Amino acid sequence: MQIMRTTVIVWICLLSLMAGTVCAAEVVVVVSSENPIKSLSLTQITDIYLGRMIRFPNGNPVKPIDLSESSPARSQFYSRYLGRSQPQIKAHWSKLIFTGRGQPPPTVSSGDAMAESVAENPDAIGYLSSDFLDDRLRVVTID
Amino acid sequence: MMRKLVIATAAAMFICVTAAGAQAAEFPNFSFNGFGTLGVVHSDEDQADFASNLFAPDGAGYTRDWSPEVDSVLGVQITTNLTPRLTGILQVVSEQRYDENYTPTVEWANLTFDITPDLSLRAGRMVQQTFMVSEYRKVRYAIPWIRPPKEVYGMIPVANVDGIDLSYRFRFDGFTNTLRALYGGKDADTPDGSEASARDVVGLSNTLEWGAATLFASYFRYRLTLEGLNPFFDAFRQFGAQGEAIADRYDVDGKRFENISLGLRYDPGEWFVMGEWAWMDSRTFIGDIRGWYITGGYRFGEVTPYMTLAQVKAHGDTSTPGLSLAGLPAVQAAHAAGLNAALNQILGSAAQQKSISVGIRWDFILNAALKIQYQHLDLDEGSPGVLTNTQPGFEPGGSANLFSAAIDFVF
Repeated sequence: MQIMRTTVIVWICLLSLMAGTVCAAEVVVVVSSENPIKSLSLTQITDIYLGRMIRFPNGNPVKPIDLSESSPARSQFYSRYLGRSQPQIKAHWSKLIFTGRGQPPPTVSSGDAMAESVAENPDAIGYLSSDFLDDRLRVVTID
Repeated sequence: MMRKLVIATAAAMFICVTAAGAQAAEFPNFSFNGFGTLGVVHSDEDQADFASNLFAPDGAGYTRDWSPEVDSVLGVQITTNLTPRLTGILQVVSEQRYDENYTPTVEWANLTFDITPDLSLRAGRMVQQTFMVSEYRKVRYAIPWIRPPKEVYGMIPVANVDGIDLSYRFRFDGFTNTLRALYGGKDADTPDGSEASARDVVGLSNTLEWGAATLFASYFRYRLTLEGLNPFFDAFRQFGAQGEAIADRYDVDGKRFENISLGLRYDPGEWFVMGEWAWMDSRTFIGDIRGWYITGGYRFGEVTPYMTLAQVKAHGDTSTPGLSLAGLPAVQAAHAAGLNAALNQILGSAAQQKSISVGIRWDFILNAALKIQYQHLDLDEGSPGVLTNTQPGFEPGGSANLFSAAIDFVF
């Protein structure tokens, strides 16, 4: 099983190399190092980014931040963690925007800007390519 | 007066938007969004129309071979966060109206106040959540089909209301539950120049979300008047007690309507399935109507083929003996026979049909999707189904085929 998974990862790396991306830099979910949250489930991440969950499990408000639509890390985040494509996310927010029921998370245009926004707000949650990690951020483990 | 006020407000808001720009976290802030559909539909039944809704004067089939009017729509919206807890929206929609023009009309205009992050109160114009996708049925980008299945969505004539609504959301164990209560009313113009008015609209709707699953239930109650039919029923009333009884049984003059809808959606990402069952009842000629649909689709990357099965059935009277002609003088008897025939015509024309649709959605860019859909309508015996504007040459109870293509977009 382990061998098979390794093989799959190797293949994905090869394919992504061919596609011109660097495999080492995977998209991770981050919070500020001042935020006590260490792990979240995929369902919780999904609910936070779909606007259904407005507090962390410890009761603190959660402020999700998005990368801009043109960012490759954004597509990777939504397909890997939410299992949804960009048009599906667009359709989801269209339902809420055009009924006055919600507005999508604010966006930032780069990994640097994401690191900055999450680091300076203990309520924030974001995602970025691991290249942009620094010691002001904590990677949220997925359980 | 009201319309001028709304237009002036919209203009003022728009100036603010362009002047201030959209800056989150500063209040007040504004955002501008829009949606639309450019679509055409062809019906192979040339003696009746397939129209967009009960207020549309005509559509595809008899009036036009290929109609761009049935599905095309453009909507623009301004959303403003006045304070962190007070939000306003104004949405104006242009589509084929009852009077055949495209004058933009206000679909949404309300203020929402968040009493707590989970409890909010709003007031103004809003769309009632009668069915699962009622609120965003015109935002075709956000729904799987070219248009919501008429077997369910064609049941209720008045869509948006002016009123108040309370929304309460709570979470438990990964479930998110949203309960809403609404009170309001609305008058709408119809193609024959009369008004349809819904009063004392009271509704409860509940949405339970858990992972990929959504469960929806709603109950609405209102008093409906279709002013245009009153002269017809008044003619019955001239025949004394038996005429009064018939008019009271079948007229739509402040009568109570009730409807219940149950819906389920399961969308884990790669595929989806959704279905709804709806029931509407009233002591009118419209009677007891039940409809359902089930839709499923599979997403192959940007391309999503889908299929829908749907049915609508009338369970009330589809005919009546009407006025007894016994003992009436000849002239009155002829008049009564004419009224009986007209009433039976109305009762018999209840929308009853089954349909199967197959379609494909292609998300060719992020903000737009192309949809192509084929629908086969199988009309119940004696019924025109959902077709309207039937011509003398129309034969009820047959079948019809619809071919539709549309580009849906949001911005």
